Amino acid sequence: MPMSAIKIEHLYKTYRGTDRPAVDDLCLTIGKGEFFGLLGANGAGKTTTISILCGLRHYAQGKVEVEGYDVVTQMEKIRPLIGVVPQEYALYPELTAAENLKIFGGLYGIEKTDLKARIEELANRLEVEPEMDRRIAHLSGGQKRRFNLMAGLLHRPQILFLDEPTVGIDVKSQQTIIDYLQQLHQGGTTIIYTSHLMAEAENLCTRIGFMNQGKLLATGSPQELIAQNQSESLHDLCLTLIS
Amino acid sequence: MRKLLTLIQKDFLLLIRDKAGLALLYLMPIALVALMAYLQNDTFKAILDNKMALVVLDQDRDSVGSTIVSSLKQTELFNISYATANTTPQEVETDVAKGKYQLGIVIPAKTTENLRKGIGESVQYTFQPEGEPTVAQTARLTIFVDPTTKNSFLASLTSTMRERLATVQTQILLKEVSQQIQAMSPMPIGDVVLPEKLIELDERTARMDSSRLIPNAVQHNIPAWGMFAVFFIVVSLASNIIREREEGSYLRLRTMPLPYSFYLISKVIVYLCICLTQIALMGLMGRFVLPLLGLPALHFGNSHLGLLLVSLSASLAAIGYGTAIGQVARTAQQASIFGSISVVILSALGGIWIPMFVMPHTMQLVCRLSPLNWGLTAYYNLLLRGDGIASIVPQCAALLTFATICFAFAVWHERVKVRE
Repeated sequence: MPMSAIKIEHLYKTYRGTDRPAVDDLCLTIGKGEFFGLLGANGAGKTTTISILCGLRHYAQGKVEVEGYDVVTQMEKIRPLIGVVPQEYALYPELTAAENLKIFGGLYGIEKTDLKARIEELANRLEVEPEMDRRIAHLSGGQKRRFNLMAGLLHRPQILFLDEPTVGIDVKSQQTIIDYLQQLHQGGTTIIYTSHLMAEAENLCTRIGFMNQGKLLATGSPQELIAQNQSESLHDLCLTLIS
Repeated sequence: MRKLLTLIQKDFLLLIRDKAGLALLYLMPIALVALMAYLQNDTFKAILDNKMALVVLDQDRDSVGSTIVSSLKQTELFNISYATANTTPQEVETDVAKGKYQLGIVIPAKTTENLRKGIGESVQYTFQPEGEPTVAQTARLTIFVDPTTKNSFLASLTSTMRERLATVQTQILLKEVSQQIQAMSPMPIGDVVLPEKLIELDERTARMDSSRLIPNAVQHNIPAWGMFAVFFIVVSLASNIIREREEGSYLRLRTMPLPYSFYLISKVIVYLCICLTQIALMGLMGRFVLPLLGLPALHFGNSHLGLLLVSLSASLAAIGYGTAIGQVARTAQQASIFGSISVVILSALGGIWIPMFVMPHTMQLVCRLSPLNWGLTAYYNLLLRGDGIASIVPQCAALLTFATICFAFAVWHERVKVRE
């Protein structure tokens, strides 16, 4: 059993039509059970890195392993182990929340009775039980975000990828999601998280990686990084590193 | 298997929830088939029922003029008005140009007299060939046509008019010839009596067997517009694929333990059900509903299995095409515009709008590249020629090859996108 959940060695990725690599010689190891924050400005290479880890993109050079499996040749073994919560509401707006969750649960191969219980459990934890029979299109942004998170957690993934999970929602929904993410982390789930909300990242993450122009500039716990760079907060550190 | 069933359930649910889109998928072809069959079936009836306004300026005021007018009356195609004696041909032309009449005929003065004189001299020369031969002068009638009258409608009317004028010409000729002979002959000679038609056309549809298939607007239109409707699902399918991509749900599906082939198979199964029910509905409508509107009932030909095979092949070709467009297009709007325009072009090339045989030779070769043409030819083989399965094998093979190429392209494009 590998001790690292994710292992990236000298990863390069360049999109067609551009000279500048989106990911440039990235080396990173994320241990099991870590709450890892991948931070940086827009275009830093965070989403590309996560897309590669989820098997949505190929890369030109390097080696990427998730739970010891190679993402190019063993993706079918990786997919059941990961949960993805994209920034978009990756749900069908014409269907009800319950229908969406039953469909995604079915596609993960979860048995009907287990799925029913799991949906009830998650709905209870994320406080969305009254909204289960409403169509996604009719829900508020915060409710959509919570269902988006639920859809990525139905199969109890070992690794959870979160792309801006709390962006643009009300404080109550934000707090509900943060609380549940902390519970998940305590339960041993490895979480890889991207966000522009530095205060939230500082509060949640056990370790952080700053990316800029495809390169990993620094890694460490929020406290270590702030102390090393004599910054007042993660927000200041981010500004210093990017500039 | 359960994953595939879940995907199919999802695609069905999405379709059912889009009630307007679903209604359009079924109502549009039904309305199209009924309308086109009804219109085409009634074109000739319309000519008969809606008489054209015709003005006659008879400056001849003799037998040619009166024979022409009575002959046109017999056709029952015209509402005939008579211009007064002092009307000029220019005034008739102006009235037609203004749309007061759809047709105007000017029979010039002395037409009968000149004709008689010319024919008389010709006949006389035949019996007494002295001096230079005399050729009868051509009587020149002028027909003015309303510029807004449709060419196809006009063609059928002018052809009827020409036919009638030819009859009048023969009658005058025979009358004058017999009068000349009577005048010259020392013995009493009677008039030449001929039936109205010496030669009649017996028009029959060529067929290889004794099938009861009768070509009519319904037999022609249901397969033609059926093909059009089946290919029109391209717009719905491509938009569905792009919406999934835009909403992010496709991204979620791609991160799940689910092969891409399942995603495609689910779309194929759901849209195949739509295409086949569309075709069945149009067939049933042709068989049971159109006769209630006074149209002939659709006859399903001699091979029901053949019909199923063509329907399956055409549906798969349409689904393949829709999938390929959905894969390549960047936005739903792009897919919708490209999908609908390309289907209209392919259907025009396929002989849906106008028959292929009236197109130039080079165009006919181009038309053979349209999948709609392959499907239509196969349907016509079954529904109009009364052929069996053997006759549709090449068309079905072409449609299935086209479908395979489209699906292969979609898979290849998906891989390229991941690699990029």
